[in-house]
Amino acid sequence: MSHLCSCSKTASDEKYQDPFQLGRKDLKNLYEDIKKELLVSTVELKEMCDYYFDGKGKAFRPMIVVLMARACNIHHNNSREVQASQRSVAIIAEMIHTASLVHDDVIDDANSRRGKMTVNQIWGERKAVLAGDFILSAASLALARIGNTTIISVLTQVIEDLVRGEFLQLGSKENENERFAHYLEKTFKKTASLIANSCKAVSILGCPDPKVHEIAYQYGKNVGIAFQLIDDVLDFTSCADHLGKPAAADLKLGLATGPVLFACRQFPEMNAMIMRRFSKPGDVERARKYVLQSDGVQQTTYLAQRYCHEATREISKLRPSPEREALIQLTEMVLMRDK
Amino acid sequence: MWGSLLRRGARGAGGLRGVASGGPPWSQVVSEAEKIVGYPTSFMSLRCLLSDELSNIAMQVRKLVGTKHPLLDTARQRSLAEITELIHTAFLVHRGIVNIGELKSCDGPLKDMQFGNKMAVLSGDFLLANACTSLAQLQNTKVVELISSAIGDLVQGIYYENSKSSEENCLTDDIGISTWKEQVFLSHSALLAKSCQAAMELAKHSAEIQDMAFQYGKHMSMSHKLHSDLQPFVKESSSDTVAFSLNSAPAVLHQEFLGREAWIKQIKEAQGKGNIMDYKKLQEAIKAGKGVTSAIDLCRCHGSRALAALERFPPSEARAALANIVYAVTRFP
Repeated sequence: MSHLCSCSKTASDEKYQDPFQLGRKDLKNLYEDIKKELLVSTVELKEMCDYYFDGKGKAFRPMIVVLMARACNIHHNNSREVQASQRSVAIIAEMIHTASLVHDDVIDDANSRRGKMTVNQIWGERKAVLAGDFILSAASLALARIGNTTIISVLTQVIEDLVRGEFLQLGSKENENERFAHYLEKTFKKTASLIANSCKAVSILGCPDPKVHEIAYQYGKNVGIAFQLIDDVLDFTSCADHLGKPAAADLKLGLATGPVLFACRQFPEMNAMIMRRFSKPGDVERARKYVLQSDGVQQTTYLAQRYCHEATREISKLRPSPEREALIQLTEMVLMRDK
Repeated sequence: MWGSLLRRGARGAGGLRGVASGGPPWSQVVSEAEKIVGYPTSFMSLRCLLSDELSNIAMQVRKLVGTKHPLLDTARQRSLAEITELIHTAFLVHRGIVNIGELKSCDGPLKDMQFGNKMAVLSGDFLLANACTSLAQLQNTKVVELISSAIGDLVQGIYYENSKSSEENCLTDDIGISTWKEQVFLSHSALLAKSCQAAMELAKHSAEIQDMAFQYGKHMSMSHKLHSDLQPFVKESSSDTVAFSLNSAPAVLHQEFLGREAWIKQIKEAQGKGNIMDYKKLQEAIKAGKGVTSAIDLCRCHGSRALAALERFPPSEARAALANIVYAVTRFP
C-alpha cells in the first residue's frame, strides 16, 4: 500500500481536499434535479421513480464525473467551472445507473438495497420494470437535450454495455483462463463502462484534445473495474447489516467473482461448484469457506490496487489541480471502503 | 412502415375518399403497402439482431454518409421504422412480466416464473438498448428527443393499463371517454405519432409537415384501437361470445350514457350468483345502448382527421396506401 501512497503525493503542490467536499457544490441539488427530469403524472409511478434518488446513495459516480469535468476544464483553459452540459452528464449517468439497478433487482429477485426494501419488493415486478424503463427514457431525453450527437453516442454505448454485461453474466466459461477474461469483460460492461464513458463525455465537452478524452476514459475504466473488484471482495468480508444488502449474494446468484476464481486455483475442487453455479445445497457455504481459507480476497484486492495505480498514472498526465488530486485520492478511497 | 410511406409522399397520383365509403380488407392493405416500401416489415428475429447481417448493410450505407445521395435518407428513415418496431416489441415483452407476490400454487414452480421474468426483463432491455444505439446512429438529437419522450408516454400508458387490472372490487373504471382517450393516446398512439413526426424531421421537412405526420399517426392509431375494441360487438356470429375488456371504448361510452350506477348494476346482473361473467349478456346490454354506435362514430371521426392530415401531402402511391390503412380501420360490416 505504501508505494501507492507515495505515488499520489506527486509533483503537485495543491492542497489535499476531500473529494466529496470539492464536488459538493455541484452535486448539492443533484437529486432534486434528477427528480425534476422525472416528469410523470401518476403519483405512484413518480414515487417509484424517485425512490432511489433520496440523496442517501453514495453519489460516487456523479462525483467522479464533476471532478473529471473540472480537471479537464482546468487542463484545457484553467477554468474551474463545470458547464451545464457536463453537469447534465452527471445527472444522466446516475439515472442510467439507477434504472439498471431497478431492473437488476427484478432479475435477481432482490429484496433489499441500500438498507431499504427494493422497488420490486414494495410495488411488484411489473411496475418495477416500468419504473426502470421510465427512468431510462427520462435519461435519454435529457441526453438528447444536451444537443450533442457525439455525447449521445458515447453514453448510449453504456446502455448497450449494461445489457450485454447482464447477458455475459448468464453464460459461463469452462476454461480457467477464459473465466477470468470473461469476469473482467463482464465487470467492464456492467460497472466500468458507465464511469469510463461519462468521464469521456465530460472531457469531450470540456476540452478538444482527443488525448485528454482517452485519459479520462482510461481513468474511468480503471477506477470502475477496481470499484467492482472491491465490491466483490466485500461480498465475502463484510456482514449484511453493514453492507445494506445481503452478503454472499453473488454466490447465491451462482456468480463466481474474483475471490472465488483465485481461490479455485488453490482448491480445484471448486471447479465443479462453479460450473453448476453453486446450485447444490451446501455449495454456497462450502465455497465461502474455501474463499476465506484461500488468498482469494488478498489477490483480488491486489488486483484492484493495480487498476487504481493505472488510473492514477493516467490522470497524472493532466495539468495539476485540486480536482486531479481528488481523483487520485478517490482511487485510494475505492480501495479502503467497507460498504 | 408508416414512416417510410409518409416519406414517399412525393410521387404518383390519386385523391382521397371519405371514410364512410368503406375499403379493402386489412391484409390486402398491408401487403400493398409493403410492396411500396419494398420489404416485409414484420418483426425482426432476435437472431437477426445478434448476427452481423444488419450491421453489414448498415456499414455499406454508412459509406454514403456525407454524400447527398437520397438513399441515405431512405436508410435512416427505414432505421427509424425498425427502431419503432423494436421499442413496440420491447414493451410487449416487458408487459409479460408477472408479479411474484401474486402467484398461486396453480401457477407452477416459483423458479420457473422467476426465470421467465428474468428472460423477459433482459430481452426487453436488449431490444431497448438496440433501439437506443440505432437512435444514436441517426445523429439527430431532435429525433432522439421525440422517441425518448414517446417511450416515456408508452410507459405511462402501460402503467394505466396495469393499474386498472389490479383493482379488486371494481372490474371497470369510473372514467369518461376523454380520460380514456388520454390514456389510449399514451399507450397506443404516442409511439406511432411521434415516430411519424421523427421520420419527417430526419428528412428535414418543415414543422408543418412534421405536425401533419404526427396528426396522421395519432388519429390513425386511435381509429385502430377503436376498431379493435369494437370487434366483439360488430361481429355477426354469436355462437362463441368472446370476453371483452370492460374498459374498452364501447363499454366506456355505454357507461357514460347510462350513468355509473346503472352500469354497475348491469355488470352485477351479468355476473350472476357464481361471480362468473356472462359476457354474452353484458354484450347484449351494451349493444342495446348507444355505446357501440357512438364508438363507431368516434372511430370514423378520427379516421377523417387522419385523412385530413394526409391531404397536406402531395398525391402519391404511398399516400394512397396510408389512406387505405385508414379505410381498413374504419370499416365495419
